[in-house]
Amino acid sequence: MTRKMVLVDTSKCTGCKACSVACKAWNELPAEKTKLITSYQTQKDFTTKTWTYMTFIEKYENHTMNWLMRKAQCFHCADPACLKACTSDAIAKTDSGYVVIDQDKCTGCGYCVENCPFRVPKVDPVKKKAYKCTGCIERVENNLKPACVQTCQPGALEFGDREALLVQTKKRLAVIQETHPRAQLYGEKEMGGMTFLYLLLDSPEVYNLPVNPTIPLSLTLWKDVVRPVGGIALGGAAAAVVIGVFANLLRGNYRPSDNKVDNVPHVKDSKEGGED
Amino acid sequence: MSIKLEPRNQALGRIDSDMVLRFSTGERVSHWVHAITFFALLFTGLGVLSTFFQPALTLVGGIQVARLIHRGSAVVFIVVVGLMFFVGNPRYHWRWLKSVFNFTKSDWQHVSAFPKEFFGGHGAYPAQDKFNGGEKINSLITILGSVFITLSGIVMWWAPSFPAGLVHWAYPVHDLSMFVMTASVIGHMYLGLLHPDSRAAMSGMLSGYVSTKFARAHHAKWYDELKNEQKDV
Repeated sequence: MTRKMVLVDTSKCTGCKACSVACKAWNELPAEKTKLITSYQTQKDFTTKTWTYMTFIEKYENHTMNWLMRKAQCFHCADPACLKACTSDAIAKTDSGYVVIDQDKCTGCGYCVENCPFRVPKVDPVKKKAYKCTGCIERVENNLKPACVQTCQPGALEFGDREALLVQTKKRLAVIQETHPRAQLYGEKEMGGMTFLYLLLDSPEVYNLPVNPTIPLSLTLWKDVVRPVGGIALGGAAAAVVIGVFANLLRGNYRPSDNKVDNVPHVKDSKEGGED
Repeated sequence: MSIKLEPRNQALGRIDSDMVLRFSTGERVSHWVHAITFFALLFTGLGVLSTFFQPALTLVGGIQVARLIHRGSAVVFIVVVGLMFFVGNPRYHWRWLKSVFNFTKSDWQHVSAFPKEFFGGHGAYPAQDKFNGGEKINSLITILGSVFITLSGIVMWWAPSFPAGLVHWAYPVHDLSMFVMTASVIGHMYLGLLHPDSRAAMSGMLSGYVSTKFARAHHAKWYDELKNEQKDV
């Protein structure tokens, strides 16, 4: 399957939250008790049962208020930190650009949670499994749009082949920039190129998004340096022991002798014939 | 040879005809608690090192049970060995610490002759103290490794209570400490169990006593000091 893309066009979003309802309905996720975080935002963060939610930011500038809304979900990175951090090969990336967790393999170690630059995955403390947006991979592979895209009334969500949709998105950006000079794309290059790509009306930090999300240096060092070098060190130590045993066998050091310990010229003085 | 009762925090009369007391009961308890919990921790930690080892964890009841054993062993690993520095007869623990952090010229000479010894040859080095240069390095790796693996483990155990940047670094630190300590343990076990000359030291960690012959040949400086001390008493 070709690389897919979902455009989240925040310029068209009305903040109706139908996407989060559709997500719950399709994925059979139970409702959770919510409370107001800001004026209209009712969900603070992802949970194991809430894979997408709306953020509302009220930005005041020159006595006018800009109401910035953003649908939050997993970005489905091309270079996913969660996948690199996973200890159980439970996270996979599809050709279509989706990053999916296999709960049968997941052990709930939570390393994906800690290493995701957006802290998207969440671990169920009872089931010991990590959960996050699947991108509705099972729908997409059966030629359906993701549930959130299917339901979006103002057309803020669009689904298609990445190449074609990206061209269309850039045209849309040029139009938006006439009224919103700080409008920009988020996810074209970030994390290797995300499947859920955003057209933001302002800079990422206004939306509380990291400006340059990256795979943590510690994760690269850990998986690409410490692990392989450590493995070689253990192999080296084991090999030294095997060679040591054979060397001692060849030298006849294992043959019993009455005065073995006394024979060992460990003390420098004794070897050099008692200098002093 | 009779087992001596150890008076609270007092020096022991150590030379007993052809045997020398090298390790007090407290030292041996610390060593073996450390050794057993180390291997329990290593085995139960393998599941997150590679999926290759995950089937082996069915031996203990699966990876979730392994996680519990890992954390339980970690507490024993720290608390028991930590306590041995304060209860019973801890003076030898403190002496050991003082000794291994005092790395002398004669220790370096032992270390440079050590590869030859390791493979069955005989290098030349000056008379060694209770701990020779190689043993001091093994001790230093164990002490520093334990400190780093414990600190990083605490951060990983209570990850949500620590800043993300610190948690990120705890993983490579935990792994690195494990690799260094395990490599060291491989060498340590070879010397204690398989090496024709140094395996004579093993009895020191079992009964506490080594033969006078061994003490004179491998730790002459220490043996001479003990002899002088005993003369003064």
